Amino acid sequence: MAAVKETVETVAALEKYEHGFTTEIDQEFAPKGLSEDIVRFISAKKDEPEWMLEWRLDAYRRWLAMDEPDWAKVSYPPIDYQDTYYYAAPKSKEGPKSLDEVDPELLATYEKLGIPLKEQAVLAGVEGAPRYAVDAVFDSVSVVTTFKKELAQAGVIFCSMSEAIREHPELVRQYLGSVVPTSDNYFACLNSAVFSDGSFVYVPPGVRCPMELSTYFRINAKDSGQFERTLIIADKGAYVSYLEGCTAPMRDENQLHAAVVELVLLDDAEIKYSTVQNWYPGDPETGKGGIYNFVTKRADCRGDRSKVSWTQVETGSAITWKYPSCVLRGEGSSGEFYSIAVTNGHQQADTGTKMIHLGANTRSRIVAKGISAGKSTSTYRGLVSAHPKAKGARNFTQCDSLLIGKDCAAHTVPYIEARNGQSVFEHEATTTRLSDDQLFYCQQRGLSEEESVALLVNGFVKDVLQQLPMEFAVEAQKLVAISLEGSVG
Amino acid sequence: MTLSTALKTGDLSALPSRRDEDWRWTDLRGLLKVLPPASPQGRAWFWENPLSGTLDMTGGVVNGRGPTDLAVDAGEERFVGWRFMSATDATAHGAELWVDVGEGAKLTLIESYEGRGTGYVSDVAVNIRLGKDAIVERIIFADDDADAISVVTADVALAPGAKFAQTVLTSGARRQRIETRVRHPGAHAEVRLDGAYLLDAQRHADLTSVVTHGGLDGVTSQLTKGMVTDQARGVFQGRIVVEKGADQTDARMGHHALILSDKAEIDAKPELLIFADDVSCAHGNTIGALDDEVLFYAEQRGIPEAEAKAMLTVAFVCEVIERIGHEGARDAAAAWVVRKLGSEA
Repeated sequence: MAAVKETVETVAALEKYEHGFTTEIDQEFAPKGLSEDIVRFISAKKDEPEWMLEWRLDAYRRWLAMDEPDWAKVSYPPIDYQDTYYYAAPKSKEGPKSLDEVDPELLATYEKLGIPLKEQAVLAGVEGAPRYAVDAVFDSVSVVTTFKKELAQAGVIFCSMSEAIREHPELVRQYLGSVVPTSDNYFACLNSAVFSDGSFVYVPPGVRCPMELSTYFRINAKDSGQFERTLIIADKGAYVSYLEGCTAPMRDENQLHAAVVELVLLDDAEIKYSTVQNWYPGDPETGKGGIYNFVTKRADCRGDRSKVSWTQVETGSAITWKYPSCVLRGEGSSGEFYSIAVTNGHQQADTGTKMIHLGANTRSRIVAKGISAGKSTSTYRGLVSAHPKAKGARNFTQCDSLLIGKDCAAHTVPYIEARNGQSVFEHEATTTRLSDDQLFYCQQRGLSEEESVALLVNGFVKDVLQQLPMEFAVEAQKLVAISLEGSVG
Repeated sequence: MTLSTALKTGDLSALPSRRDEDWRWTDLRGLLKVLPPASPQGRAWFWENPLSGTLDMTGGVVNGRGPTDLAVDAGEERFVGWRFMSATDATAHGAELWVDVGEGAKLTLIESYEGRGTGYVSDVAVNIRLGKDAIVERIIFADDDADAISVVTADVALAPGAKFAQTVLTSGARRQRIETRVRHPGAHAEVRLDGAYLLDAQRHADLTSVVTHGGLDGVTSQLTKGMVTDQARGVFQGRIVVEKGADQTDARMGHHALILSDKAEIDAKPELLIFADDVSCAHGNTIGALDDEVLFYAEQRGIPEAEAKAMLTVAFVCEVIERIGHEGARDAAAAWVVRKLGSEA
């Protein structure tokens, strides 16, 4: 009950989108548009070796030959790929050596967003409270990565992608593009050509990462796109929990965010990947502005008994096109996908997951909750497939949709492909509105209509919230309530 | 992109392929490299259906030639059989059937697809119009040849208060698609779309349906069950659309299937597209093998494995059969299932 009260208070206290401010900071840009020269420019800016440039150019040439996909249930005007900045970075002579050298404007921005960049600030909390190492990505570059030394003591590499290409080229070359190949899809291919920063994590064999890792993505520059690339490798028996958060300023123009996330799991490894997506969703009344979020996320469970868990709370972005997937290759490997997608205003979300069972005795579980309000559209699109060799594969899928209001839409489009006689697939889906009886009951007990909706919605998404790390769960719960603000009455 | 257009124009590129989202699991373009010649006139044969003696009327269409209209006047009640027969080898034909059921009328339609030829291509388009408060029960027995390509597409439109029920029983073909599109007006109209596919060898069957709810207070109930063995492939695509304003819609869809071999395949896509908020829609989908413990129990009681499998499959599919309203048709459907599984066992 306490949490709900908190949610309600948050709803009352906050504006619709609290992260919509811009930071006035001196930034440098690549010239607008996309060409081989821009790809070379980005690579040069990042001081990359020749092989990396070749990789990018190869991706760019492939991208030119590809068509933009149109199968998702989303509609938007054609994107002018030449009208975007592909590189935008805060000006600095050299990369900051420590936090003290980071532009105070930037630090203030992250403080305003509630992201702890100062290690002592993180430590100053309650004794025994969990700590987070943060990689803060501002437009196209990583500003700072905290707790690197402490993590290095445990053998964990946590740094920006650019740094990884310089410092750990052998790991990057081995794994980059091995989960999401360059020409996997249109947006992944674009990302491969122009990706800027993102996080790189390597957890050595048998190491349980001593703290939660997190990356915070912030789009700030006008007319720019963010193309980050994240690569996480959990070696044999390793464990890591990774959190991802994202926000952007309120602008009338749409901005493109096309990221690629690759997870590699070797024998007995485990990765828990949580996302709270809070991009600017566009103006709730007119639908103007907002982020186009076209993201490819995939985990490759190469090792036996490896386990990956995707948890996502989506409240932001004008358009979401995202299907975090699991390739269950290792024997006995398992994949989980827990998702809450909240759409309001004019938002459109086409999201879901793919569980590709290739190895024997692989297991997967999908719990997806979609909430549509206002004039929004939310689609769950998922694939569960079992290869002939995936004997004993098991999947359970549950997707529920909740509709609030007359003008919204909720769709469920699951694909199930079973190719052997020893796998078991179960799928169930429901679509309903908020129950009048339950709303009446809450209001009869003295809650307002908005409070009642918040309470019932929190109950609806509880299964997924429980999977999030504690701190994120509280934030996510608030976000869900804020996103639905104005949807009643 | 239809087989019908390809047959009429001779243009192979009009055939649906796996690149068409609605045909991703039933590729015709990849299969038909040359269109077979048009079917000559053929001769009908005796109908081996236990219901044949009890019908009010029978329509016989051989190689696409035969009657095309069936009308039931307002207030009338009819029990009709309609046979689509493919009599020659490696030829192609198309046929149409227009069914008009008047206000308050009742029609039980037994539709059969029978193949005596091999490797034929058959395309049938069925149009059914139901008047106010009309009741139609359509039961399809599809016994196509193992090498045939067969597509049956039905368009059904209901008036307020009408009831449409359908049960498809099929043993598949080389490629077979039985597609039903229903325009549901809501307004207390009711739709039931059921099906059972029993596939062996290299047979393929695709049961596709689209039910579009356009008005208030509509009910749809859908149950499909299937069994595949050997290298067979079963496809189920069900789509329920609830348009804006079609509130108080109650729609349920279920697809449950058994895979009895490691080379068999089942593909399913149960879709819900909802544009109205005051609705209750659900779908369930399960795919798995027969329960080993139950099989063991049966074998322990002295029932041979093949027989036990057939028995359990009959029990599994029975739920679909029991939903058939017409008693005679229900018995005939039960007999069809036992015969199919008996021969397979």
